[in-house]
Amino acid sequence: MSTYETDEEKVEAIKKWWKDNGISVIAGIAIGLGGVFGWRAWANYQEGVRQEASAAFEQLIAAADVEPAEAALARAQAIATDYGSTPYAALAQLMAARIASGKGDTQTARDALEAVIAKAPDPGIASIAALRLARLLLSTGQLDAARALVARHEGGGGFAGDFAAVRGDIAAAAGDPAEARRAYEQALAAGTANPELVQLKLDNLPPAG
Amino acid sequence: MLQTIRERAQGWIAWAIVILISIPFALWGIQSYLGVGSEPVVAKVNSTEITEREFEQRYQQLRIRLREQLGAAFRPELFDDRVMRPQVLEQIISETLLLQVSHDMGLRASDAELRTAIMSNPSFQRDGRFARDAYERMLQLQGLNQVQYEEGLRQRIVGSQLERALIASELVTEHELKETLRLERQQRRLSYFRVPRADFVSDEPIGEDQIAAYYQANQDRFQVPERVRLRYLVLDASTMDPAQTPDEDSLRAAYEADVERFRRNEQRAVRHILVALPTDADSEAETDAKARIQAIRERILAGADFGAIARETSEDPGSAGQGGALGTFERGVMDPAFDRAAFALERGVLSEPVRSAFGYHLIEVTEVEEAQVRPFEEVRDELLAEASKRGAEGQFFEWAERLATLAYESPDSLEPAAEALGLELQTSEWLDRSGGEGILANRRVIGAAFSDEVLRQGLNSDVIEPEPQVLQAIVLRVAEHEEASARPLEQVRSEIVETLRAEQAAAAAQRVAEELAGRVRAGEPFAEVAGSYAVTDAGLVARDAAEVPDPIRSLAFTLPRPAEGATSVGSQVLPEGDAAVVVVSEIADGDLDALDAVVRAQQGRGLAQRTGSALFEDLLEDLQQRAKIERRPLRTVSGIE
Repeated sequence: MSTYETDEEKVEAIKKWWKDNGISVIAGIAIGLGGVFGWRAWANYQEGVRQEASAAFEQLIAAADVEPAEAALARAQAIATDYGSTPYAALAQLMAARIASGKGDTQTARDALEAVIAKAPDPGIASIAALRLARLLLSTGQLDAARALVARHEGGGGFAGDFAAVRGDIAAAAGDPAEARRAYEQALAAGTANPELVQLKLDNLPPAG
Repeated sequence: MLQTIRERAQGWIAWAIVILISIPFALWGIQSYLGVGSEPVVAKVNSTEITEREFEQRYQQLRIRLREQLGAAFRPELFDDRVMRPQVLEQIISETLLLQVSHDMGLRASDAELRTAIMSNPSFQRDGRFARDAYERMLQLQGLNQVQYEEGLRQRIVGSQLERALIASELVTEHELKETLRLERQQRRLSYFRVPRADFVSDEPIGEDQIAAYYQANQDRFQVPERVRLRYLVLDASTMDPAQTPDEDSLRAAYEADVERFRRNEQRAVRHILVALPTDADSEAETDAKARIQAIRERILAGADFGAIARETSEDPGSAGQGGALGTFERGVMDPAFDRAAFALERGVLSEPVRSAFGYHLIEVTEVEEAQVRPFEEVRDELLAEASKRGAEGQFFEWAERLATLAYESPDSLEPAAEALGLELQTSEWLDRSGGEGILANRRVIGAAFSDEVLRQGLNSDVIEPEPQVLQAIVLRVAEHEEASARPLEQVRSEIVETLRAEQAAAAAQRVAEELAGRVRAGEPFAEVAGSYAVTDAGLVARDAAEVPDPIRSLAFTLPRPAEGATSVGSQVLPEGDAAVVVVSEIADGDLDALDAVVRAQQGRGLAQRTGSALFEDLLEDLQQRAKIERRPLRTVSGIE
């Protein structure tokens, strides 16, 4: 048994098939192409936004040392809200924290660093923000909060020594030289930013017992 | 059966088969797009491969840069491949990873940053401004096209952005600054006395076994490095017999051939008077200036002295003081209108007013030197000197070539070359790799002396011209060779005895110092314990006070903080072998509030900078620990240079 007898019948069958399925085929192709172009347009758009954010951020770095703190802070916060989808938001928050802390606005600095910890584009940046926040809390005397923050974020990795050093600072401020000594020694063993300074702190702790 | 297949083929099975078949076709060749090459790879950072070619390129670039920076101080033998290659690889891995992370995070370089970076690059500028053609030419020289270069630059900008962000955003709290300055600017009140080693040197004999043990344990100290004595020939253009003097005919021929060089154009000495007038002056100023210059001209024609009038009226500050004299010059040097007038005038005739870009001039030619060709007699000596210099050079290169051939043809001896060229065969002193004097100090000469061919195979070296600008060449061979060796015990015996005595005395001094420190610790007054040793009261001393010896200061600053009214004491060996007892009686902490605002801000920025860049280093470390990095063993390439 053969399905089609003549050519006419075949043409008929194809026409019928097209009539039944044509719209779906065209729609399928259209959706496919639309998807590809749409994706590319979206990627292009995102690329553009990132570049814009990058330029704004570079301006912020340049302006932070010359502009009055108010203006620089507003600039940093604007980047954080306008470019929330880019990593520049977090970097701008780090800048905002520095500027705010420099003019004595600890609360704003704290909020900014907490925002970075919550939305860091890389775990390493979260660690850095946590370190800075802990030091900020220490300077305002919130030792328990600082201690808890360090405990939450301290882990292995490249920042182990830095966390240990902050732990030492907290213990020293709390009047616990034995704990501070232990922490500083850990910090030096693990490698920390500014080892000379940690060594000085260690040498100047009151003698144990 | 075929029929059934045909029927079934209408259904979903057919589609499934078609799809299955089409997959390999669709993916055919995709690896070339994904960059999965077959090139050898030295490391893999997450998904990015670092190929051997990229690595070698970087490595060579580094060598070239080092060579340029160090110039003559660059010693290839110090550039140890086994140390440098892994370092360079680590550097590339770190950069690759940072770039990858930055990119994945979404960091980008904007077009504006790219433009600024290009425009501010001094190599793309002419007269301090960006020049498009200079940019294109520089890229061409480096063998890059614009797209490649800009892509690379974009990556460099992105690669540095995170670091800059972290340093710029580093904060320093008041508390930290206070603590840091408290410690860094701390001062300590300290006194010390020395227990001299000399007091404890004894004459007691030292046991043979002790000497032998020291000799065994310190073999390095008694090594004599590998050394050679060289035989060598030096060819030196400055001491070579001058080539035969060129004869008159050849000198004259050289003169005729190059006569253009000795032509002197017409020269004129000119003086002038200027009434200054800018080129865009309006007609009123024009008329006024014209009237003034005419008036001056009439005064001179009426008999007034040109020089005196120039001094009085000329508005050309350069020449007015000289009575208008401009000196001698040839055609084409001055302003065109001025030039034409000056070279058309008869000598001693005052010109009509001439308008140049500067204003109106009156010109007078005071002297005319006709165009002339310097005669042969006048330039003969010049030509002779040139010819003999050329001759000596030519002879030097010719001889150097003959020397090379002779030294190569009889590689086992320099005698034939010495005889044929009449050079003196010299013999050097014993030399180790640090070289000798004069031409033997040159690193290329010493390098050749210790090279495989010369040292191991006993051949003549190539002809070496150590300094490119000096016409000097040397060829050498090794006459005698000694491997590195240890000096025998007998030779170094007294040296060892001396050392051991000194060590024992130092240890005794240290014991005594520690004992005395113990007595101070136990409560005896410092001055009493010191007894006859001279006590130095250094007073309040900062960490970097140069007047107190280094080891004493570092001990004093690491001694524990003394309680109120008490002291802290310790003992310390000094480099010269004496021991010291140090006592700290007071600590004065650094005070942030005592600093003025500028210094304070400076200190804060410095601390932030230090902390920020150290944190960035830690971030790199952290990224590496989290990344998947594979390192393949590196091929070590021998062949230095």
